[in-house]
Amino acid sequence: MTRAAILEGIAEVARRHLDWQGALTPAMRLVEDLRLDSIRLLTLAAEVENRFRVVLDEEDELRLETVGDLVDLLAVKLQAG
Amino acid sequence: MSDPRPAATLLDLLARGGRRPDGGVRFLDRDEKATWVGWGEVRERALAVGGGLQALGVAPGERVALVFPTGPEFFSALFGALAAGAVPVPLYPPVRLGRLQEYVERTARMLEVAGARLVLADRRIKAVLGEVVARARPRLGCRTLAALPEERPDPPRVTEDDLALVQFSSGTTVEPKAVALSHRAVLAQVRSLGSFLADTPEGRDSGASWLPLYHDMGLIGCVFPSLALDTSLTLVRPEHFVARPALWLRAISRYRATVSPAPNFGYALCTTRIRDAEMEGVDLSSWRLALNGAEPVAPPVLRAFTERFARWGFRPEALTPVYGLSEAALAVTFSALDRPYASRRLERDALANEGRAVDDPEGLEVVSVGRPVPGFRLRVRDKTGRDLPERGVGRIWIAGESLMDGYLDDPAATAAVLRDGWLDTGDLGFLADGELYLTGRAKDVILLRGRNYAPEPIEHALEGVPGARPGCAVAVSWLPEGGTGEVLGLLVERRRGATREEIAALPDGCRAAALRATGLAADEVVVLPPGTLPRTSSGKLRRGEALRLHLAGELAPPAPVTPLRLATAVARSRWAYARMGRRGGDRE
Repeated sequence: MTRAAILEGIAEVARRHLDWQGALTPAMRLVEDLRLDSIRLLTLAAEVENRFRVVLDEEDELRLETVGDLVDLLAVKLQAG
Repeated sequence: MSDPRPAATLLDLLARGGRRPDGGVRFLDRDEKATWVGWGEVRERALAVGGGLQALGVAPGERVALVFPTGPEFFSALFGALAAGAVPVPLYPPVRLGRLQEYVERTARMLEVAGARLVLADRRIKAVLGEVVARARPRLGCRTLAALPEERPDPPRVTEDDLALVQFSSGTTVEPKAVALSHRAVLAQVRSLGSFLADTPEGRDSGASWLPLYHDMGLIGCVFPSLALDTSLTLVRPEHFVARPALWLRAISRYRATVSPAPNFGYALCTTRIRDAEMEGVDLSSWRLALNGAEPVAPPVLRAFTERFARWGFRPEALTPVYGLSEAALAVTFSALDRPYASRRLERDALANEGRAVDDPEGLEVVSVGRPVPGFRLRVRDKTGRDLPERGVGRIWIAGESLMDGYLDDPAATAAVLRDGWLDTGDLGFLADGELYLTGRAKDVILLRGRNYAPEPIEHALEGVPGARPGCAVAVSWLPEGGTGEVLGLLVERRRGATREEIAALPDGCRAAALRATGLAADEVVVLPPGTLPRTSSGKLRRGEALRLHLAGELAPPAPVTPLRLATAVARSRWAYARMGRRGGDRE
């Protein structure tokens, strides 16, 4: 899957489950820019897992800061799986 | 068969569990696949862990921190620590997707406050605890259960006076308060809860829960009573519930659970996020006690939940608003079990400004949380400690066997709330016909989604936001009339001389800063002129008063300063300092 397709998949999750209306760019920070509190972060994590059929590890996911970081992580996961 | 002697410690409960084939814990994964561990098996695994802990050098009474997701390992670690004679301290696992730094700081602080000798953690969580352990330096480090030596424990000598459990009463906080509960307190609470549960030839209650096990309502409210009743408890992981709330209701239906608690926000989440398709074949008629506590109960949520899920057999009389707090081990009051929730409408002005509860058919609706549970007494008192008559709004004081010993190693904080066997809950309310109604809080606590947060870390986070006046912001939460849950508000004074651009950007800047530091999203940010927030004579911000004024629309800036007024004030101030024999003061 291309990085652009992954980004679009994340945007779809954000629109559907987090009522996100604007565009989504890799530079956006999950907490500050997407305004995700812990419950919404959890929702994003779970729905991204559903959408991409992957399981994220605590070790990886806790180091994420931006949408781009999440795209990178998913790219690696999808290639491995 | 019942034991002649009542259980005195959690170890007694553990020793007696597992006599019935249907007693145990069922863990559901996110695909609803079940893993069953009977209470006898829980005990066997706990003994193995307990032996390992003793071999490692964990001494009786020492604290062992536990960081696990909901799963069999949590039970092995919790009861294992008890089997070693140690004191378990369940802690929050990291939240998902980032904000690791805040987690590291908070958790390291909790380990220090709890005086933890050892951290037991899930394998995946241990991998991210490195920095936490490096900071707090528990003497025996951090281990997974698999890394413990294999030994059988020497049965520890544990009495009912010994500490059973340490639990933290709030999430994000500068100085987390560790609530220390004796076996006597926990067992008293378990007996009290047990008085509401049925164990008759016609049927025995069984539980279902998605509540975190590091939270009192999940652990003391669900796990211990299920063990005491030797019944089944079905557990959904909290993170799975939040992502897919239908898992909770489906679990109740599938396993015919009769008792299941949640805070208000859990019920609200079900009404907004569950799709009809997910409810196919679900039957909620077994659900006898839908306990609702840990945060203020919002009447619109109760109505919406009842209406929405009646189709699937949900019984309105199952809804049972309750009141409790970690300092009381959990429950303090329960509303009547056999009726739908009860509420009163009260005149707003008398309630907010005169501290009186006066019926008014057009007034503010407040839900009854019922009467004290067995073993508890309750008083509503004024500021000076005098008992108020019914319908007088005041501070709620409670006394009972399940009160905490105190905050761990913190006599000052303990003395501030515990007096002569009575606990000042810091909650405000009134009694009417013997039933308790909660109207607010005198303590500075943010209460969101069933969890307590101290306001200070949120306020500190706002210090550096451009345009904000340092040290002049308060974080408050309240249940808006007609709302579905408490909202978080930031009341922020702008800096003198702040530019128009800075002022315009303040709300967004404050939201982002609060989120980054604490993970909490503010619902409302109010920018105020300098000097608006009310303070005490010693200059401390008065959060409760600020909130009251804000809600009354009376949060106004101080009288404009004219040159003459200023000159007078300066002269007075100089005179005052001269009299005190020292010069100057803090400049802004």
